[in-house]
Amino acid sequence: MTKVNIMKNMPEKVIIPLKQHDGSICEPLVKKGDMVCEGQKIGECGSYDSASVHSSVSGEVVSIEEAPHPSGNKVNSVVIQPSEDAECVDFKPKDVPVSELANLIKDAGIVEHYGTPTHMVLKPEGKNIDTVLVNATSSEWIGGHYDTPSQYSSQVLDALKLLMKAAGASRGAIVLRNDDLESISAFDGLNFDGKNITVAPLVGKRKVKYYFKDMASDIVVVSQDHIYGRKILDLFTYNVTGRKVSFGCDPTDVGVAICSVKSAKALYDAVNAGKPYIETVVSVSGKVKDPQKILVRIGTPFKDVIEACGGYIGEAGKLIANGAITGVAQYTDDVPVSKTTTSIFVQSVDEVVRGESVACIHCARCVDVCPVNLVPSRLTALADQGRFDECRQMHIMNCVECGRCAAVCPSKIHVLQLIRYAKSSIEKAYEDFAPKQSSTNLKLGCCGGE
Amino acid sequence: MTFTISAPPHKKESITFNKLTLAKIIALMPVVLLSVYLFGLPALGIVIAGILAAVVTEVAIQKAFDQKITIADGSAVLIGLMIAMVVPPEVPLWIPMIGSVFAIGIGKHAFGGIGSYVFNPVLAAWVFLSLAWGSIMAPASYPQTTALSDLVLETGAGVMAGVSPLALLLAGCILILLRYVEWRIPVSFFVTTILLAVLLGDSLSYVILGVVLFGVLFLATDTSTSPVTKNGRVIYGIVCGVLVVVYGHFANYVDATFYGLFLANCVSALIDNNTLPGSYGSETYLQRKYKRILSKVPFKDRLEVLLDD
Repeated sequence: MTKVNIMKNMPEKVIIPLKQHDGSICEPLVKKGDMVCEGQKIGECGSYDSASVHSSVSGEVVSIEEAPHPSGNKVNSVVIQPSEDAECVDFKPKDVPVSELANLIKDAGIVEHYGTPTHMVLKPEGKNIDTVLVNATSSEWIGGHYDTPSQYSSQVLDALKLLMKAAGASRGAIVLRNDDLESISAFDGLNFDGKNITVAPLVGKRKVKYYFKDMASDIVVVSQDHIYGRKILDLFTYNVTGRKVSFGCDPTDVGVAICSVKSAKALYDAVNAGKPYIETVVSVSGKVKDPQKILVRIGTPFKDVIEACGGYIGEAGKLIANGAITGVAQYTDDVPVSKTTTSIFVQSVDEVVRGESVACIHCARCVDVCPVNLVPSRLTALADQGRFDECRQMHIMNCVECGRCAAVCPSKIHVLQLIRYAKSSIEKAYEDFAPKQSSTNLKLGCCGGE
Repeated sequence: MTFTISAPPHKKESITFNKLTLAKIIALMPVVLLSVYLFGLPALGIVIAGILAAVVTEVAIQKAFDQKITIADGSAVLIGLMIAMVVPPEVPLWIPMIGSVFAIGIGKHAFGGIGSYVFNPVLAAWVFLSLAWGSIMAPASYPQTTALSDLVLETGAGVMAGVSPLALLLAGCILILLRYVEWRIPVSFFVTTILLAVLLGDSLSYVILGVVLFGVLFLATDTSTSPVTKNGRVIYGIVCGVLVVVYGHFANYVDATFYGLFLANCVSALIDNNTLPGSYGSETYLQRKYKRILSKVPFKDRLEVLLDD
């Protein structure tokens, strides 16, 4: 059972970005010189596509300024200097009616690790969610310390029930990874609500629907192979439920809400402890003295997190937020941990990838590794020439941006970059079209179909 | 502290194009050594002549057209070496030299350089040489694998590539295991060749030759001239096998390998364009047919209950 350490030292200052999700930025509720409490709301969400921001420490607001953000941009942030003497009230569990759960999620500032605020996933406007999936394939054991594995698994199941209630969905599933034996053994044989849980593998045509029927249960635990990438949701939905998400739609269009273990845990804490989303588990790895999983307050600069892990080994060459394959390289270690930060990876100077692109030799290695059956070599050539329409005909929008094609390329071509360039160009071209009028499209078969 | 920033992925495999070609050159070395043992020093002279001419031509062309000199990637050396291996060892030295000049100049650079050529330069040069100097290019003998020792050292080999089937097979298999060479083309090519040859009644002793294995493992798998799609590569291997057997049945399997592969190169782009994979999760042809048949079955409501999972 992987241990999650708690970061003990208080950072010198915390930087809390007012935008830690995809959508509109929050309005600051505090001003320079104000004293704030731990858990106090400091950013109010004005519009629907936004989630509140809370202070993770007690202290004094030093400034409100544009500060670096792990996404690579600068974002208006509240800088707080923690102080010892600030008095704070303990969090109290709230008794929330089911109808208020979605508002609670928005208010507690819970955001998925891929950036969408959780209330938008669970209660999308004009769409019905019938299945809630908790994706536990990448972030196992995240979210705290448990005495026994079964404590973890029953807590996740409780959280899943809350998520289902919030979404009004009748069915829910937890998706584990096939090779993550720890989690599988934690769930296997667990007695939950008088039913024995068995972890079922997703094989061939046996999607989650089959297991709902087979086990005569509304909550199942399934496992699948490890898939990763930045735009994994559509493929994940297809793998688990067999529902195909078409271009321009997202999983909520086919009635599936995908949450992470982190947001499930955050909701559990918000309901049972009354605590907003102010701390998160980050796994620190690479060239640091003491790689570990560590529970940090949101807004802690990377610098302090790395110090808590023993500091850098030698000179650091690259600092990457969210994984070595798909993450964003940071230009400074002053960036704060945000709600969407799941890991920090440090590379030494020698490990930094350098390589000059040469001509494609059509070795087809990229074709062999692609998880969604694309022909990256050809897409790259087309994207390079600006032939985006042909890219689209070759299903470029299916790309999950896992970056395997670029990793295996012997010619060191920037495959992923070119594909993302083509994808963003196509998306921009479609933005000019009027948005869909209503959800009647769902019935007509724009999205959906099983 | 300064940090490098760049787009993901931040970790890449260490494989490079240089390594791929270098591995192929090393894999061919045992055969070259064995042929020097068998044919004597003239074979070594031919290898050196072929490689030198190839490298010099590449430098000259890239200088003339003001391109970056790319001899360090080893592709010119590999082409020169392969040309030396497909000409008979007793030819005058200018034959492999002209072959290399043709392969690099016309076969490779006239088509746009590495990755762009349509025909494998080695095959193009071989076809050119055999048509221009047919009498010189005719090998002294055509081999036949009659004993097990012929697999290790084929004394009747007409060209250097045919000297040792076993050495080629081992080297090729190691390359495939290391994923330096992909496996679909060699496997489907080889299986098709054997099956068809048996069906047509050709004695396998004329089929399992060093030259055929050289074609299967080193010529057919040339990345630029073979399809990239997964299904396309299997089909390409089958096409190669069919063409080689058609030639081999009526002539001999040594020339058949070269001509067959040369013709298969022509259809590789066609195969590629017609086997582009569909979107994941889309129904295959058989699934569509199955659904159509199912929709016409009476009492289908009851059937669907049984089949709906």
